[in-house]
Amino acid sequence: METSELKALTVDKTVDARGTACPGPLLAAKKEIAGISGGQVMEVLSADEGTKRDIPKWAQKKGHDFMGVVEEDGYFRIYLKKG
Amino acid sequence: MNITSEGPLKSRLCHENEKIKCSILKYQLFTNKNKIIMAQQKMTLALFSGSVDKLTAAGVILSGAAADDMDVDIYVLLMGARAFKKENIEEKGTLAELPHLQDEFFASLERLKVNTWIQFFKDAKELTNVKIHICGLAGKIWGGEKLEDFNELADDICGIGEYITSAQEADVHLFI
Repeated sequence: METSELKALTVDKTVDARGTACPGPLLAAKKEIAGISGGQVMEVLSADEGTKRDIPKWAQKKGHDFMGVVEEDGYFRIYLKKG
Repeated sequence: MNITSEGPLKSRLCHENEKIKCSILKYQLFTNKNKIIMAQQKMTLALFSGSVDKLTAAGVILSGAAADDMDVDIYVLLMGARAFKKENIEEKGTLAELPHLQDEFFASLERLKVNTWIQFFKDAKELTNVKIHICGLAGKIWGGEKLEDFNELADDICGIGEYITSAQEADVHLFI
């Protein structure tokens, strides 16, 4: 998805993991996605560079839809749709 | 394949139908098999080291396995058993690698808000099936004969045969 499309998404849950280093954002994503329903969208905020690659791979293995990443000033927004 | 007396078209259709059924069955078996494998994926970790740098690395790897819902068996061997003794739980610990950079290492962990190794282990136990087995010999070396001599993370005291069996069965096997 394009950045503009990602930014226009209605997000059902935001997980702010900017205060943690790897593996904090990944674990936060795993914990928090349990609290939303299939088809709902979750965004993970992370300032950890490795998370940009880690979460998409994890999502693919777990059957979630990785929708894309938006780069903000000093952090990333990673969008997932629960499978 | 069903052979009918109603001509080649129906026969061909039945044949195609069987092929589709077979494909669906194969797919189901494949996906079911994958699900079984996913559910049973297991990591076995031989944790020999009791130094805080290696314990932290073990904690990070353990977190990755937990995020992946793997079952994890940790076998705490010789030097590792000391770190799991009840009285050592608050110990800051030492580094196995680059000990002269210890202050820099600890300062970086604090600045980056990295969990302590013990917190990584606790979190992973909450997320997935992690069992921590203390090697009986290792425990004795450090004065720990019974499970209550170790911190609450330890699940049992075991012999080396159990570790070998677990390693043989594991999808991922690590020695730290």
